[in-house]
Amino acid sequence: MRKAILTAALLMATTALVSGCDGAVGGFGKKAEVKDTAYPEQVFWGDTHLHTGNSVDAFGFGARLTPEDALRFASGEEVKSSTGLPARLQRPLDFLVIADHAEGIGATKALYDAPRLLIRDPMLRRWHDLMHEGPAGSLKATGEILRARGENKLPAGLNDPAEGAKRTRKIWDDNIDTVERYNEPGKFTAFIGFEYTLMQGGNNLHRNVIFRDGKDKASKVLPLDPSAEAWPEHLWDYMEAYEKSTGGKVLAIPHNANVSNGLMFMLTEPGGGPISAAYARRRAAREPVVEITQMKGDSEAHPFLSPNDEFAGYGTVGWDTNNLLFNQPTKPGDLPGSYVREALKRGLLIEQRTGVNPYKLGVIGSTDSHTGLAAVEESNYYGKHPGVEPSPQRATAGFVPGMNSGRMNWQALASGYAAVWATSNTRAAIFDAMMRREVYATTGPRMTVRVFGGWDFKADELKGDWVKAGYARGVPMGGSLKAGGKGAPSFILSALKDPVGANLDRVQVVKGWVDKAGVSHERVFDVVWSDMDKRKAAGGKVPSVGDTVDTSRATYANTIGAPSLATVWTDPEFDPRVRAFYYVRVLEIPTPTWLNYDMVKYRLKLGPEIPLKQQERAYTSAIWYTPA
Amino acid sequence: MTLKQTGRQLLREPLVHFLIAGAAVFWLLSGRAPDLGERRIVVNEQVVSGLVQRWTDMFRRPPGQEEIDGLIRDYVQDQVYYREALRLGLDREDEVVVRRMRRKMESLAVAEAESAEPDDAVLQAMIDKDPARYSDDARTSFEQVYLGADTPANRAAADAALPRLRRNEPVTGVAAPLPRRQNGAADETIAGTYGDEFVLALRRAPIGQWTGPVASGLGLHLVRIEARAAPDQPSLDKVRQRVTNDWRAAATAKARDESYRRILEGYDLVIERPK
Repeated sequence: MRKAILTAALLMATTALVSGCDGAVGGFGKKAEVKDTAYPEQVFWGDTHLHTGNSVDAFGFGARLTPEDALRFASGEEVKSSTGLPARLQRPLDFLVIADHAEGIGATKALYDAPRLLIRDPMLRRWHDLMHEGPAGSLKATGEILRARGENKLPAGLNDPAEGAKRTRKIWDDNIDTVERYNEPGKFTAFIGFEYTLMQGGNNLHRNVIFRDGKDKASKVLPLDPSAEAWPEHLWDYMEAYEKSTGGKVLAIPHNANVSNGLMFMLTEPGGGPISAAYARRRAAREPVVEITQMKGDSEAHPFLSPNDEFAGYGTVGWDTNNLLFNQPTKPGDLPGSYVREALKRGLLIEQRTGVNPYKLGVIGSTDSHTGLAAVEESNYYGKHPGVEPSPQRATAGFVPGMNSGRMNWQALASGYAAVWATSNTRAAIFDAMMRREVYATTGPRMTVRVFGGWDFKADELKGDWVKAGYARGVPMGGSLKAGGKGAPSFILSALKDPVGANLDRVQVVKGWVDKAGVSHERVFDVVWSDMDKRKAAGGKVPSVGDTVDTSRATYANTIGAPSLATVWTDPEFDPRVRAFYYVRVLEIPTPTWLNYDMVKYRLKLGPEIPLKQQERAYTSAIWYTPA
Repeated sequence: MTLKQTGRQLLREPLVHFLIAGAAVFWLLSGRAPDLGERRIVVNEQVVSGLVQRWTDMFRRPPGQEEIDGLIRDYVQDQVYYREALRLGLDREDEVVVRRMRRKMESLAVAEAESAEPDDAVLQAMIDKDPARYSDDARTSFEQVYLGADTPANRAAADAALPRLRRNEPVTGVAAPLPRRQNGAADETIAGTYGDEFVLALRRAPIGQWTGPVASGLGLHLVRIEARAAPDQPSLDKVRQRVTNDWRAAATAKARDESYRRILEGYDLVIERPK
């Protein structure tokens, strides 16, 4: 009683503080100064999926960092984290997309700031009070808001369209101004974007939406709120309308297929019936790239689907038993629609039937950090949200402490980043590279990986200027082999270690294809690995690279593996009559996980279920083959 | 129920305990005489239109007469309770109030810095203080041949290849996604691909001659520097936005810290940790 009176009285008496913040003073110098190279010579590193305190859930989890903090951090500056820790990346990123949740953007903050007496809805009032109780209450409130959101039971007050639009306009405009101020072509690219947090009964159908354009165009729209939607077509309408009315360009990147319970890559259309050519064409045009790895697990492959792949199942533990909100168990039949390798195979199947591939997807990694910090270096990991920023407790805490999220925080990965082969570090060049899928994903380390596919690459191609040859006589990752080549396609593959990271174990080609009977298959080829003279393949398996990790000190040594692996590989089983894709997976030698670094730093005793080492990896976008 | 019973029951109510205790504390300790000004509540036109506006924003229609009366009644109750609560000191030790007030103070402290526009002299001074931060990176044009991991065998291979490169004979290194020749690459770009130590090594290498092996985060290289461009002196025109960003970020942080320190100076701080 006392508390209620007080809260009400005090909040009612508050008047809004107007902190006048001027808009952007203009962009960086003359953009003409940035020259594009003739073909992509450099790989640019970034995060397409970062949340700040403007995200409903992030604010509730205690995130107080602003878009400005996030941009400064990503470009290499030191900032103070929401829990007061100094934070700095070991190496700056080249680009960043602030992707705050569109729905109820700033709504939690608005609810927090609202005069309590004006909050009529008992649920909203409860969350308001909880948030003001402190961090534990805030976490609890956020958990409840997320659950209500996933179940479409959010009180109207939090979704009030008019109020929401006004609030969204203000936050969107401020956000755009900040992004414009930090976008420095040639040096650091800041993208305008948002997350379209589409959910169906707790099944994850989220997309990140990225604009190629600046303020002049992007400010003509508001981020799209998916609240009442079940499927992404509404988003595609929005994107088409944006492009038509502004002449701009926008793309969408789905993520966390792993917790979609099979809804992310379906064989059927939302309304039922098999996917049609028109639907497939629409999806492929809007969503050229998928986020394959991030803190909430890895969506490349699952051991259940790929029993012959000894390296499948990276980052699947804990994420494969239930959907995102942990309110619907995952059935084995859900798995194929939840993993990217299977989606690529399904794409071939649908293409065989309709002539169009809806899942011709390039891949990137990103963080999905809700701390404002794009920090996924294993030894410098700031966690998924402020409740699990560095502390002695986080290794054994729940994924969302104080709330039964069904998952443990040790199941979170310090992953991943997006690698983009672009002709310059600008919005236009990076966006265009994503559209043509010349991109790849890593689980955090910055390996350089190049792939070309073609019909006439020779075994000694690597002795010459093979990059030039690759572009002239073949296609890079993300491309399609022209049909009608002679013999079997061959691939120039080259991978280089992260200059401050671990050596490489091996380079693999993952091939998927569809036979005449309409059944899809996959096979993983080890194509080049370290110490090939000593590590002889036997029974279709290459012996393990070994392990130098000392978990008592969280160290490893580059005394095994190789700094660079390259080869020209020809498909030994090529059948010109069947459609196929080829993508490359690069494995590092074993290295300590963030949990091992925490264990040593905080002198923890951790149970045997907690992984202390791992083989980090890169996944490239595929190259596709379609018979004539 | 007799009066006595009612009285006994009332005395068991925590709220009553609280009010009595609060009143006692107020009268005994504060010694503050009630200020008549604080006891006068005026609901003027401005207050009423404020209430109406807020209501309209919320429900997207203006309130009716009865609803306005209700809003005013609510407002008056708020004011009465609020003032009475402050008189009783109920705001103290309340975490919600404490946090709320802190946020308000912090917002006030940084509001000015957030909207201020620094003049050119200030920005120029920032550049002069740390020109390296605002200048373009040094740029290097160079050729390199990659020889793989830093092993004795590869060092020997490097030693064998060096004279051949110097005689302009073709040498093929280990295949890797590294350009053989880079034209005007910024230090930052080179560091991203090869690691910091390689940038430093390139700085020491002679111009125009093959040299090495030079170690990087990737292994060994033979290198030939073609040209080096020192960083440009930064001009305010070119880096205005970056330096303004830095100024604003620093000014906001400073305003927050300084305002806190100023207030803190007026307090004696004693911390007694449990043994």
